[in-house]
Amino acid sequence: MAKIEPGMESMLDMYIFETSSLLEQLDEILIRTESANAFIEEDINEVFRIMHTIKGSSAMMGFDNLQKIAHKGEDLFFIIREKPELVKDAHFVYELIFTVSDLYKAEIEIIQASPEDFEPTDFSDIIARLEDAAKQLKSMEDTGGQTSVQPNKGAEQLPRESSAEGAMTVRVRFEAGCGMENLRAFLLLNKIKDDAEILACVPPDVETNSDTSAYIIENGFIIVFKAVEVTNEDILAVIGDAVNVESYEAINLPKPEEKAEKEAEKPTPLPTEPTAEKSAARKKDEEIKKAAGSGQKQSLISVNLAKLDLLHDIVGEIITTESMVISNPDLDGLKLESFSKAARQLRKLTDELQDTVMSIRMVPLAGAFQKMGRIVRDMKVKLNKNAELVLEGENTEVDKSIVDMLNDPLMHLVRNCMDHGIENTAEEREALGKPAVAQVKLSARNSSGEVIITVSDDGAGINKEKVLAKAQKNGILTRPAEDYSAKEILNIILLPGFSTNESVTEYSGRGVGMDVVKSNIEQIGGSLTVESEEGKGTSFIIKIPLTLAIVDGMKLKVGVTVFTIPISSVRESFIVGENRLITDTEGAEMIMLRGVCYPVLRLHKKFNIKTDVTELKDGIMLIVRAGENDICLFADKLIGEQPVVVKPFPKFLSHWNIKQEGLSGCTIMGDGTISLIIDANNLINTD
Amino acid sequence: MTDNNEKDTFEELLDLRMKAQLASQNDDDREIAKVLTFNVAEQVYAIEIQYVTEIIEIPHITAVPAVPDYITGIINVRSKVIPVMNIRLRFGKDEIAADDRTCVIIVNDGDVSVGLIADSVSDVLSVRESNRSETPDAMNVNSDKFIKYIVENADGVKLVLDIKKLLGSEDEKEI
Repeated sequence: MAKIEPGMESMLDMYIFETSSLLEQLDEILIRTESANAFIEEDINEVFRIMHTIKGSSAMMGFDNLQKIAHKGEDLFFIIREKPELVKDAHFVYELIFTVSDLYKAEIEIIQASPEDFEPTDFSDIIARLEDAAKQLKSMEDTGGQTSVQPNKGAEQLPRESSAEGAMTVRVRFEAGCGMENLRAFLLLNKIKDDAEILACVPPDVETNSDTSAYIIENGFIIVFKAVEVTNEDILAVIGDAVNVESYEAINLPKPEEKAEKEAEKPTPLPTEPTAEKSAARKKDEEIKKAAGSGQKQSLISVNLAKLDLLHDIVGEIITTESMVISNPDLDGLKLESFSKAARQLRKLTDELQDTVMSIRMVPLAGAFQKMGRIVRDMKVKLNKNAELVLEGENTEVDKSIVDMLNDPLMHLVRNCMDHGIENTAEEREALGKPAVAQVKLSARNSSGEVIITVSDDGAGINKEKVLAKAQKNGILTRPAEDYSAKEILNIILLPGFSTNESVTEYSGRGVGMDVVKSNIEQIGGSLTVESEEGKGTSFIIKIPLTLAIVDGMKLKVGVTVFTIPISSVRESFIVGENRLITDTEGAEMIMLRGVCYPVLRLHKKFNIKTDVTELKDGIMLIVRAGENDICLFADKLIGEQPVVVKPFPKFLSHWNIKQEGLSGCTIMGDGTISLIIDANNLINTD
Repeated sequence: MTDNNEKDTFEELLDLRMKAQLASQNDDDREIAKVLTFNVAEQVYAIEIQYVTEIIEIPHITAVPAVPDYITGIINVRSKVIPVMNIRLRFGKDEIAADDRTCVIIVNDGDVSVGLIADSVSDVLSVRESNRSETPDAMNVNSDKFIKYIVENADGVKLVLDIKKLLGSEDEKEI
């Protein structure tokens, strides 16, 4: 059982956020480079930087297992950085790094789920694989006939300063496997530098150069220091007490002939010089790193979503209070010229405030879309289908909470396209005159308060006969098969208990059908439709509201209760003449309008509200769209329309099934009272 | 009546003083909790004070369908939507019309907030070992299901409600 180091709990959120976004970046780079089959320098540096950051922050948080993997990954990319051409066609490297990325994500999820006590997963398997891969790359490198000079390797070097008077040279060895030796060495230097003058150390650049770890592991860390005010022995004691220090030994000054011998071994006289070229290269790398870093330093900050929610709530409150003040009954009948002027100004400002707060919550869909790149890539390999992912309009912005909830449905749809949509072989495609590489397209666009997301493929399309036959076999048809229109047939695949693919594959058809996708999307107030043309491809069209929080509502009065119904579901409202009501043998009421018969639902009966308006001609009728059907609602009167801030029902009420009764939430109106929001879809389902 | 009340308060004060003295002598009789007492249908109930957020007048209540009749509806308390439970109906008493003493006690447990309609609120009391007693275990009658313990003072006994149980779900559905 591992615990997060004390004092680090507050950093956990940040760590999780940062690491997750880095992993996404990593995936993106790998997908890009794999398809291009070449690593460009910036990408390698970027991967290196990602690995390094993850390693550092994992070590800081005390997640040793994670740190070790990142460390090995870094080692691997160290080799790649030297010889980028090695990874050309080396798919095992990509496979491995993707696995690492997945393991990381899984582990982070575990940590996130129970930060208090989680079991660190044993990653020795993957670490071994990383080491193997590094070896394999190394051997490729060696057979390439070009052995690269390892920095600081082999030859033992002692800095010249060691001969200075009063100086003491110590070789420190750290505990095996403690990791991040260079940083530990740096910490050690910091520890003693108050009492001693550090004359030199080997390797010299422990703070900035993590590659020195290897050297330290092999040869120990050599410090040449001169004690100030205290004795050298005191310093030695400090070193001995330091964390992770396994042993230390004072080194006697090498004898001159030894030195000469050593120098003869070395190609260059000065100990630091063999690495001069390298360090120049490294400096260049660092410059690139810095450049990349500064490029990312946009004027962005990350904010806890809970704070935004709070801000949003307060703004909602201000708007409500504002109408309470401006339309206060105490002001009735008064002529207040300057008051009205000030009130108008206030309204303008609060409107702006609301827009700004809403825009803060809006994030581009790009993040959610890019995650799909990974899925396409994985499935391409597993299913041996050649496909590319095309993104369109990924900068379209939607509310953050919606983006989060879109991940699963999108993933499922993309998997469906890859698995069921696209033809099994390239030959099959070419025979049909299509390009060998299939296309899965994700596109998003804005359209009047809605975002329309399309997941489409250019595959085989949906075979309607097959769908019908399957549906009949599964017994989900409610009418004779001939009665179904083309559109209805397509929608059958969204019904529970339907799956067209005969074989259950790893990716789709795990018992989670399209009906789940559909209900997930409906949960966030969206809708899912299918379009398909046989031989040309299939499109899944998701329509979602821009934001969950504010909808345009129409207010209805029933008795003393005020209901709000989203305008998007109202088709028309009208006052009905007498004798237009039809009652069937069961007593169910219907109404004829332009030759179409609609069932009538009286809201006062449905919600058991006392009202004087029971005659249809006295009230108002609304045709509302609920799923595939239209129904006619009867209310006392219409009050008007207004954008409303949707609030969920209090948690306590979830003990009862209010949502099943056709109410999706509530909203606070201008006068401070609460109005219930009608969800037309559920109004009917319960009947 | 007023005299009586004053006398009661006086006696209670005396009582409290004596208890405070006792407490200083006897370390076992420290204050365990503070409770807010309120009246519902001639009975005095109490809620441990840490659960009480505020006490408000009866606001406009919006009725909600598909809930038991003791859930009167939902109210707006500074832009928070909070369900309201009528204690009278919850404990099987008859509903009475609200008067100017009727109030809503907002209680909160974790992330669940509920308003409780009470006939009136009266006082805040200290609970000590000496004035606290458990509900009887034998013949565990249904009525004390929501009673955590009983506090007694000169005025009589107060039933301290178990808020966690009251705001819990499963039991309520059965009633």
